[in-house]
Amino acid sequence: MALVSTFYFSRIIGNKVYAQSGGTIGKLKDLIADVDFVRPKIVAVMLSTSKGVITVDFSCFTIEKIKGQYRLECSELNEYKQDEKKNFYLTKNILDMQIIDMDGRKLVRVNDLKLAILANETYLIAADVGVEGLLRRLGVAKPLKEMLKPIGIALPSHLILWDDVETIGFGHAGIRLSKDYSNLEKLHPSDLADIIEDMDRDTQIAVLSSMDEEKAADVLEELEPGIQKSVLENLPLDKAADLLEKMPADEAADILDELREDKVEELLKEMEEEASDDIRELMGYSEKSVGSIMTTDYISFNENETVEHTIKELRRLKPESDTIYYLYIVNSFGKLVATVSLRDIVVSEPETKLNQIMNSKILYVLDEDNIESLNEIITKYSLLAIPVVNSEEEMIGVVIINDVVHNLLKNRRKRT
Amino acid sequence: MTTKAKKSRFLRNLMIFLAILGPGIITGSVDNDVGGITTYSVAGARYGYELLWVLIPAFIVLLIVQEMNARMGIVTGKGLADLIRENAGVKVTFFIFVGLLLADILNTTTEFAGVAGSMQIFGVSKYISVPLVAIAVWALVVKGTYRVAEKIFLVFSVALLSYIVSAMMGHPNWGEVGNALIKPHMQFDFEYITMIITIIGTTIAPWMQFYMQSAVIEKGLKLKDYKYTLLDVFIGCATTVVVAFFIMVACASTLHTNGVQINDAKDAAQALKPFAGELASQVFAFGLFVASIFAAVILPVATAFYVCEAFGFEAGIDKTWKEAPQFYWLYTAIIAIGAGIILIPNAPLVKISLLSQEINGILLPAVLICMMLIINKKDVMGEYINKRFTNIIGWTTITILVSLSMILLVTSLF
Repeated sequence: MALVSTFYFSRIIGNKVYAQSGGTIGKLKDLIADVDFVRPKIVAVMLSTSKGVITVDFSCFTIEKIKGQYRLECSELNEYKQDEKKNFYLTKNILDMQIIDMDGRKLVRVNDLKLAILANETYLIAADVGVEGLLRRLGVAKPLKEMLKPIGIALPSHLILWDDVETIGFGHAGIRLSKDYSNLEKLHPSDLADIIEDMDRDTQIAVLSSMDEEKAADVLEELEPGIQKSVLENLPLDKAADLLEKMPADEAADILDELREDKVEELLKEMEEEASDDIRELMGYSEKSVGSIMTTDYISFNENETVEHTIKELRRLKPESDTIYYLYIVNSFGKLVATVSLRDIVVSEPETKLNQIMNSKILYVLDEDNIESLNEIITKYSLLAIPVVNSEEEMIGVVIINDVVHNLLKNRRKRT
Repeated sequence: MTTKAKKSRFLRNLMIFLAILGPGIITGSVDNDVGGITTYSVAGARYGYELLWVLIPAFIVLLIVQEMNARMGIVTGKGLADLIRENAGVKVTFFIFVGLLLADILNTTTEFAGVAGSMQIFGVSKYISVPLVAIAVWALVVKGTYRVAEKIFLVFSVALLSYIVSAMMGHPNWGEVGNALIKPHMQFDFEYITMIITIIGTTIAPWMQFYMQSAVIEKGLKLKDYKYTLLDVFIGCATTVVVAFFIMVACASTLHTNGVQINDAKDAAQALKPFAGELASQVFAFGLFVASIFAAVILPVATAFYVCEAFGFEAGIDKTWKEAPQFYWLYTAIIAIGAGIILIPNAPLVKISLLSQEINGILLPAVLICMMLIINKKDVMGEYINKRFTNIIGWTTITILVSLSMILLVTSLF
């Protein structure tokens, strides 16, 4: 007999459970864990007995290792009252299911679980997602290891600590380990998008719905077009509309272009008018025109404003980093007359008027211009952004270099 | 309702249908691969019209099974491999996927045999055609043009209709054909029963179930699309069976009547020449060529994908080699082994083809049992579990398949 400190779940599942008297009670079917601890603590055992399945308290349970095998003993059969909100099942909910490896930032399948006994309590400490875990489940890990040892090959084993694990949907049962996916929000939107692309549809919806809207919109923006479409079609209408509102208008218009017309109409109606008007306008442009990739979020000022006022305004608007470098001067008729750089504003005295520091030699493109010509201008003058005007020379948007790169990549992907 | 409103509603429904169209029809077309064409040709040549009736129960079972796959895909949004792994555990998964891998490697071999055979009819040596096709197929996936290729092949699968032409050129006796179709003929000898199992086994190949379900998911179908999906599945199954019917008729009306025995689809194409003319033979060979390339493109990548899915390795053609090494190595190995076997002089191709059908025969009931158990789980399917009628047909099919396989196993031992 040896004291057990850590063990794999697969080694005890299906094992006989003995009473103190030595008689058999039944077989171990599942373990129930409680999430209200730092690591999930095992609180109950499901046993299949001759009289059916019973759930008993784990406190009267002991695990010993005898001659390489695990012996399970249960001194008292106290019935355990389950709490749906904070309990989950190791076999039913975790084993063989997919989880997110937060460290490796990908979706993996659980082959085995590692548990540890600390001060008389048993905790779930890691998920085994490697080949060794798979072979252990099939009961051939040990002999295979022995066989491969002489030729110097080790089975690839891969444990993920439970701290780095995020569990995802539990199917129709409707229970989840943690109430939200707050952990996931620590990941970069692009990484998160890669993970979500590998999930099944219901999980994609569950994860995106539970996230903070700003973050969810960022992730939605990064998803592949096909998945964006499926997500928008499956999310509740109001939620989908909220996410689209949070996205830059040009990105939202791109996604909506892929959807069925009646769905687009429904979504636009659900959105706030200000946002949906912008999107409608952008969707009117042909795919090859500058209008289709421009964004209508830009910052403009009147030439008579002071630098002080401008800076105050910028503090209030808190523009994104890619729109703040170029500020545009528009006259009272909405016509684009000049640009001001952020640098000039920062280095000028507060009472300076914008028309003293503005640059009226401006480069701009027309909304109906071909994207090809836009690409040329942007590269030729090494611009980060360029204003877009309509045929009346009224300013209607800007194209940021990011959008140009995106568009180039998209076209390249389409060709392959 | 005015006629105009009616018409516009009809048009709208038609548009929705065309948008949803796909999974069932693609699956139906891939189903008529080299294994299928071979089986139907041999059945027609050996037994004439006698086995035509088998296509009717095969059609019903195919329809029921594919409907279940479509429904599971729509409701759960998960692939069949995922569902089996999550619900049946590692051991069952291991058994099924090792079987699937083995059967599909052999199936891939027969697809390349189809390429070799059909190009031989046009006078191209297999030592040229097989390596070229193998490299082209491999590059298609690794270089990432698979999606486009899949669509092109769907258009090409119209070439399968060439079998109707071949059948017509043989001037079949339609009276006899109709008679054989509605009056089942049963014969209790080893070869006849083997032929029946092989026909059913090749029509409802296990890997098709996985393919169908993924196709539904990839298309992003939802419950409200269900009735259109059903129609799509119906058309797909009908395509499979109709093509099978014409292949059997083509071989029955010419080869069987003249007592010509054949071993594979290439033989059939060759043997057609004296009876139905050079053109009929070439049309038959062309159909075979398209079918074998189509399946050689889809089968290895699909197999690699399901195996990785079940065991939790990263997989997918949009991943790079570095991200999903297991997937790409498996894929490469399946093609290399499949094409490699064909290039061995005097490889026992008929035996390989039979072996793959036998493994499929054992695998099919196992996959079907898993499907039946999963689709009846409320946890997984919610209110969309099987209706009683589907359950009865499902379990009956499984019982019949298992007992037929058992009979075969026992008789082959003695």
